[in-house]
Amino acid sequence: MRLQLALARRAVAGAAVATALVMAAAAIAPVWADDQIDLTTTWYLERRRGPEGGLSVVHPQLDVQLDAGDSVTVGAGYTADVVSGATASVFSVDAVASATPFEDVRHEAHASLAIKGSRSGLSVGAGAAAERDYTSINVVVAGNVDLPGKNTNLALSYTHHFDHVCDRDNGMAGALERRALTGLQPCERSSLILVDDTPGETVWREVEIDTAEATLTQNLSPTLAVQAGAYGQILRGFQSNPYRRVAVSGVEPQESVPDVRGRLALFLQANKYLTGLHSAVHGAVRGYSDTWGVNSLALEMGYSQYFGDSLLFRLRGRVYQQTEASFFKDAFFYDTEGPAGAYFTGDRELAPIRNVLGGARLSYIGVGQDGESVWGLFDEVRFELKGDVLLLDELPANPEEDNPAGIGGQFLSSGQLIDAFVLQLALHTAF
Amino acid sequence: MGLRSSSRRRRPGRILALVMVAAALAGAGCGRFAVRASEKEHLADRTMRFDADGHESAADDHVLSNREGSAGGRGTSGGGCGCN
Repeated sequence: MRLQLALARRAVAGAAVATALVMAAAAIAPVWADDQIDLTTTWYLERRRGPEGGLSVVHPQLDVQLDAGDSVTVGAGYTADVVSGATASVFSVDAVASATPFEDVRHEAHASLAIKGSRSGLSVGAGAAAERDYTSINVVVAGNVDLPGKNTNLALSYTHHFDHVCDRDNGMAGALERRALTGLQPCERSSLILVDDTPGETVWREVEIDTAEATLTQNLSPTLAVQAGAYGQILRGFQSNPYRRVAVSGVEPQESVPDVRGRLALFLQANKYLTGLHSAVHGAVRGYSDTWGVNSLALEMGYSQYFGDSLLFRLRGRVYQQTEASFFKDAFFYDTEGPAGAYFTGDRELAPIRNVLGGARLSYIGVGQDGESVWGLFDEVRFELKGDVLLLDELPANPEEDNPAGIGGQFLSSGQLIDAFVLQLALHTAF
Repeated sequence: MGLRSSSRRRRPGRILALVMVAAALAGAGCGRFAVRASEKEHLADRTMRFDADGHESAADDHVLSNREGSAGGRGTSGGGCGCN
């Protein structure tokens, strides 16, 4: 298999939604008053068992924002994912047996136009992304308004995605007869993002995603700010990983998941400035539930400490736990009992897991003083180095006492506590 | 008759929702006096902004959404509350 999906398709779309929302919101955030160039590179390394090595993702991001007059800002940006590593092509009790190497490159570009008033902002944007087997076009609109006194801010955003994913042409085959895509089949495109079916071999399937978010930010005191919000998303269309097979009742059909998924997340976060220490404490909690039965809770704490005027150090920790999707079973039970209803999946993101993150970030901040610029060029320069360690605990979805094979071999990531590392370098400039 | 009864049953829920929305907006409106413009020095600090770094937030979401089944709900950047 030459190429294989590097990342779960829903996750890729989710990341694009996040990029679109974050960039659109940033474009209208009143704190940005200068032209900006931001460059960030993130390296993600996930350890995996088997002879094919781990999973490596290099993720560069470049964004430019320029003021066009007093109240208009235009922005453009580019991101990429360069992915290589190992994946299990069959969800079974022995993931290592089907481990295969793969590589993939994803490109994404976006642009935005923002209008800012003294108390409000409105932004519209669009983006497009493409890789061998996935294309995406998105539009986003976001707005926010400060209520009188500028202690309360209401923000709304909406994003729509028009996506296509390449799939094996299985005609009218039933769920247990569908064959998975391999890197040998063509996924043809007539242009960068316009797709063409190859009858008898591959078809492009539609995925539409609507995402809306509303937030309320409130200053409670001169040193305490809170933010509460709701996030909703509806995904419609083909959401399986077309490459993944699942060992079900002695056969290995392509993974099968529902065509519709609704998601809801509610969150509350707070920042408290500690005047005497020249530092700040951060806290956040998020609850999540979706129509596939995944429910989760995430708690995050952070601490930022200034050293002088130019150095800022931040520590943070995050704990996350989720339940499995209603149709997820441990591999042994799919193979011996068959699927739960019409669906079956080998997606680790739909399994019961506990995820812990701990990390640190060091920032150098240079700000021009008394009319003098930084390095003779910029009003402000920020250089950042960040590292995170991620721990993963895979939990049983079915009674362990009834599972003689156990769950220790069903994912390539199983059996190792320290699961992944993130290293990030960033340069932010304002001029 | 059935339709009328159904409509009556839903009305308390609608009223409750309206009251909650009104209370939220009223509560938010009261917040206008929480902090004077001259007291916002610390609120304007970068450590007090929610998602002050768009690139970091997007990259974090990218990493986490590839490890977890959930998505969203990490807040929005800016907020404007630190601006005078």
